Amino acid sequence: MTTIRPFTCEDMLKFNNVNLDPLTETYGLSFYTQYLAHWPEYFQVAESPSGEIMGYIMGKAEGHGENWHGHVTALTVSPDYRRLGLAATLMNILEDVSEKKKAYFVDLFVRVSNKVAINMYKNLGYIVYRTVLEYYSGDPDEDAYDMRKACSRDVNKKSVIPLAHPVRPEEVD
Amino acid sequence: MAVRPQHMHDGGIVERRLRPIYDWLDNGNNKKALQEAEKVLKKSPSLSAARALKALALFRLGKGPQAHALLDELAAEKLSDDTTLQAMTISYRESQQLDKVCALYEAAVKVDPNSEELHSHLFMSYVRVGDYRSQQRAAMALYKFAPKNPYYFWAVMSIVLQAKTSEDSTKRGILLSLAQRMVDNFITENKMEAEQEARLYIMILELQEKWEDILKFIESPLYAQLVPGSTAQACIPYLKKLGHWKRLNLLCKELLWDNQDRWDYYLPYFDSVFQLMKESDSNSESTADDTAEKCHEFICQLVESMTSGRTLRGPYLARLELWKRLAVDGDPTSLLGSGVALCVQYLRVFANKPCAVPDLRPYMAMLPQKEREERSREFLTCLGFDENSEPDNSDDIQRHISCVAAWRIAAAPLPASECLCLANTLRGHYLRCLSKGLVTATLTEFCATDGYGVLAAHHYFFAAMQQQSSAPVIEALGLLELVLHHSPANFHAKLILVKLYHFLGNALAADSIYQRLEIKHIQLVSLGWLHAARLAPGGACTRALQLLADTKAFHTHHQKDSVEHLTYAYKYGTFEKLVELRAWGARLEQCAWCACVARHRALLALTAGPAAPLHAPCRLPQEATDNRDLNVIVSYEPPEAQDPNLKERTFDQELSYLRLKDALVSSVALCIESADSRPLEERKPQYEELKTCVEAFSKAMEKCREKYAVSEKISISAPFPSRIIAFVTSPVPYRELYSNTLYMVGELAMNHTSEAHALCERVAGLLATVPQCLAEPEGAPDAAWGLRDRLEALSNYLEFIGIVTFLLGVCNELVAPTNTKKSKKKTSQSPDEIRTSELLNKLNEAVQNSITFLEETFEKLPQYDYQSTLEEQFAKLNIDKYQNPVETKLKNGRQDMINDVMNILKKKSKYLKSLIQ
Repeated sequence: MTTIRPFTCEDMLKFNNVNLDPLTETYGLSFYTQYLAHWPEYFQVAESPSGEIMGYIMGKAEGHGENWHGHVTALTVSPDYRRLGLAATLMNILEDVSEKKKAYFVDLFVRVSNKVAINMYKNLGYIVYRTVLEYYSGDPDEDAYDMRKACSRDVNKKSVIPLAHPVRPEEVD
Repeated sequence: MAVRPQHMHDGGIVERRLRPIYDWLDNGNNKKALQEAEKVLKKSPSLSAARALKALALFRLGKGPQAHALLDELAAEKLSDDTTLQAMTISYRESQQLDKVCALYEAAVKVDPNSEELHSHLFMSYVRVGDYRSQQRAAMALYKFAPKNPYYFWAVMSIVLQAKTSEDSTKRGILLSLAQRMVDNFITENKMEAEQEARLYIMILELQEKWEDILKFIESPLYAQLVPGSTAQACIPYLKKLGHWKRLNLLCKELLWDNQDRWDYYLPYFDSVFQLMKESDSNSESTADDTAEKCHEFICQLVESMTSGRTLRGPYLARLELWKRLAVDGDPTSLLGSGVALCVQYLRVFANKPCAVPDLRPYMAMLPQKEREERSREFLTCLGFDENSEPDNSDDIQRHISCVAAWRIAAAPLPASECLCLANTLRGHYLRCLSKGLVTATLTEFCATDGYGVLAAHHYFFAAMQQQSSAPVIEALGLLELVLHHSPANFHAKLILVKLYHFLGNALAADSIYQRLEIKHIQLVSLGWLHAARLAPGGACTRALQLLADTKAFHTHHQKDSVEHLTYAYKYGTFEKLVELRAWGARLEQCAWCACVARHRALLALTAGPAAPLHAPCRLPQEATDNRDLNVIVSYEPPEAQDPNLKERTFDQELSYLRLKDALVSSVALCIESADSRPLEERKPQYEELKTCVEAFSKAMEKCREKYAVSEKISISAPFPSRIIAFVTSPVPYRELYSNTLYMVGELAMNHTSEAHALCERVAGLLATVPQCLAEPEGAPDAAWGLRDRLEALSNYLEFIGIVTFLLGVCNELVAPTNTKKSKKKTSQSPDEIRTSELLNKLNEAVQNSITFLEETFEKLPQYDYQSTLEEQFAKLNIDKYQNPVETKLKNGRQDMINDVMNILKKKSKYLKSLIQ
C-alpha cells in the first residue's frame, strides 16, 4: 500500500526511519538538493498511508553515446517495510524513466558483501558487469559490483557483456 | 566547491600557468596557491585571472581587507574575461557579497555584449540575490541574443516569481497572464520541447486557478508527447478541483485495476465516492461507484482479483479506509461488519510482515474504544497465539510479535504489576530465541526476534512510570543493550536506549549509543531534540558544546550554500523544484532549533568553553520553523494515549524558551558593549537598550511562569518536557538573579554607583538563598528516579554561575581596566570606588560560595542502585559469555559527568579569585 511520489526537500526531515539503517548513507544537504534540481524525475519516494517514508530511490542519467544510461545512486527501504516488493517497484520506476530518456542501460554499484541486495538485483534482471576494486572506502576498503540491465534501446544487449577483469575506481567513468 | 571553471577556453599558455593555482585552491592549500599566484604574477603582472585567484587565496587565508582591495582594483578595470570573473565570483560568494557579482557582470556585458556566457552569468548573479525583475530582463536579453528555449523559460519563471512574491493582486494577475501569454505563444509556434516547460505552464495556470485549462492541456497531444504515459494520473488533482467526481471515480477505478497497491489512487477514489453519495441523483445504472455498497463491491473485486502471487495490502487497507470514512457520520457495521473484526482480519493476513502494526495503527483510533478494549485479545489470538506461545521460526516469530503489539495497542493499559509481568514474559521469549539460535540478525540487518526486546522495553518503561521506580528502566536498558549486541543495526533499540539513559539522568551513557546512530547533516536538525538538547541539562556540558557546534556549523554552511542550488535548478530547467528549493532554504534558515542552538552555545560557552568573545548568534527568526522529527521512536500505547497536540504544544514551549535565551544572550552582549572602552556618552544607547532588553526578559519570565506551570507527561517516544518548564518554575529566583545582575553591569558602566551598589548587594543576598532552593529532596528512596530532574535544576544554576562569573569579569574591567591596573592602584581611589570594589568582592565571594555548594552537591549526587534480574536469566539459559554493560555505563557516565562539572567549577573558581582586588 503505497503512494509513489517525487521526493521533496521536506522529506529529508522525516527520512530518519529509513536513513538510520547503517547501510543507508545520509549525505550532505547539497547532495540531495543537487539531485532534486538536476534529475527530479529520478528521485522518488514511497510513502505509507500514514505518511511515513517507506523507502526512496535516487538516480540520474549520464554518459555519452552508447554509454548514455540511468544510474541508481541510492535505493533504500525502511526495515519495517521490507519484504513487500517495494525495492522492485522503485527500480521499475527508475527503469521506466530511463526508457523514456532513451538510455541504453541502467547501472548501479553494490557492496560485494551485500548478498541480499545483489540477489534482489539479479532477480530484477541485473547482471554483474564488472568488479570495481576497493570502491567503498572503510576499514578495510570493499569492492563493488557494477551491475547492469540493458534497456530496450540496446537491441543487441551490448552494454551487458560482462568484463573479464576487475577495474580500479579511477577507471570507472 | 571546486574553483576551476568547467570549461577553460584558452587551452594554451595561460591555462598552463593557472593550473597549479587551481590545484592548490581545490586541495585547500591556500598558502601554496598564493605563492603560486605571486610567481605567475611576477612573470605576467597584468594577468587578471592570476590576480583574481590571488585575491581568493588571500581571502581564504583570512586576509579579507587585502583580498577586497585587490578585488576592488580588478572590478574597477571592468573586465570581461570569464576566467577572472568566475574566480572573483567565488570570492564574493564566500564573503557573502553577492550583489557585487551582479555589478561585475553588468559591467562585463557592457564591455563584451556578444558573449552568451557573460549574459548567462549575469542572469545567475541576479538569481543569487533574488532580483526577479532583473532576472527577467537579463533572460530576455539573452534569448534575443541566443534564441534557445531555456533562456525564454528563465524569463517566464522570473515573471512567475515576481507574481508569487507580489502583494498587489492586480499586479499579480497581470504578471501571471503575461507569463501565460508567453508560453501560449510558444505552444502556438510549436516550440515547447521539454517536460519541465510543460510543468511550468501548469504551474502558471494553477496560480491563476484555471483548472479547466490545465485539464485541456494535460489531455492534449503535446503533453502526452512531452510527458509520456502520465496523463491519467496528472488529471486527478484537477478533476478534484473541478468537482468532476464521476470522471474522477471512473478514472481512479481504471488506474486501480492495474495498480491495486497505489494509495494515491485510492484516496481520490474514496473522495469521489463520498461526493457522489451526497449527490442525490444516484442511479443503479451508473457505472461510477456512487454508493458505499458499490464501493465495497469494487474493493472486494480487487481483493478477489489478486492471483496466487503476492498478496497486496492495498485492497485490504482500502476496506479499513472505507470503514473509517463511513464511521465519520454513520455506522459502517451494517455494510462492513465490525471494525475490530476488519482490523483483526488484516492482521491475520499480514502479521508476518513487520509493517502490519504500523499499517494498522492509524485505524485503531477509529474503533469504538470500549469494543476495541473488550475484544483486544482477538488481536493476540487470531492466529492461535497467546502471550506465552513459543514460535520457533522467524515467520511465526514476526506473526507472534505483530499480534502481541496489536493487542497492546488495542487494549486498555495494564496495571504496573501486569505490565512488568508481560515485559518479563517478552524478555523470556527473546532470551529463549537467543539460546535456540533464533536471533538471526547480521551486522547490517536486524531480525524479527528483536521485536520481543523492543516491546518488552516499552512495557518495562510503562511499569516504571506507574511505579515511579527506576528498577524496570534498568531491566529495559539491560535487555536493549543485549538486543543491540546481537543486532547492531537495530536503530529502534538504539533510539530507546538513548531515551532511557537520559531518562535516568545519564547523558554520557546516552551519548555512547547516540554515536552509534551516526547522526549527521540534516539529522542534526530533525533529531536534535533527542540528544543534543538533553546534554547540557544532563550536566554533560563539554559534549553539549561539541554537538551544538556541529549543528551550528551545519546550519551556517547551509546558509552559504543554499542559493547555489537555485542556480542549478535554472541550469537544468527544473522550475518546479526551484520554488521548492527556495521554500526549503527559507525554512531551514528560519529553523527554531538552529536559532536555539546558536544561543545555547553562546551561553554555554561562557560556562564550559575556553575564554573567548561571546558568540553573537544570527538574528532571531521571524517565523521560526519546527523541523523536528517526532515520529522516529515507535509507540505502543493505545490511541487515547497519543497526544494530538504534542508537536504544536512542545514547539510553542521551545519558542518561548528560545525567546528567553535570546534575551539573555542579547543582554550579555549589551553588557559587554555598554562597558567597553568608548567614552561614556557613546555607550549610553547600549545601556538604554540593555535596560529594555532585561525588562522584556523579566516580563517574559513572569508570563512563562504562569503559562508553563502544568507539568508535562513523560512518554517514551516524545521529547522530554521542554527546558522552559524547569527554568521558569524553579524555586531559584532566576528572574531576579539574571535581571539584577545584568542591570548591575549596566549601572556600573554608566557610573550610577549607588544603583549599582544596591543591585550588587541584592544579587549577593539572592545567591545566599539558593542552596536552600536546591536542597536535595529528603527521603527519596530511589535516587536514580529523580536524578534527571535534579541535574536539570543544577545545570540551570550552573549556567547562571557561568554567566555571572563572566559578567564579574566585565565589571572588573570597568573598575580596574587590565592595562591601567598597576598605575591605578597607586592613585588614590574615591570612597565610591572603594565601596564598588568591596561590593564586587563580596559578590565574587558569594559566587565562589555557590561554586563550593555546587561542588559539594555534585560530589554527593546519588549513586545508581543497580539491580538486574537479567543475569539470573542468563544463568538459567546458560548464556554466560555476554557481559551486561549497563552497570558500568551508568557508573562511568555519572562519574565522567561529575568530573566535567568539577573541572568547569574549578576553572570558574580560579578565575573569580583572580578578580578579587
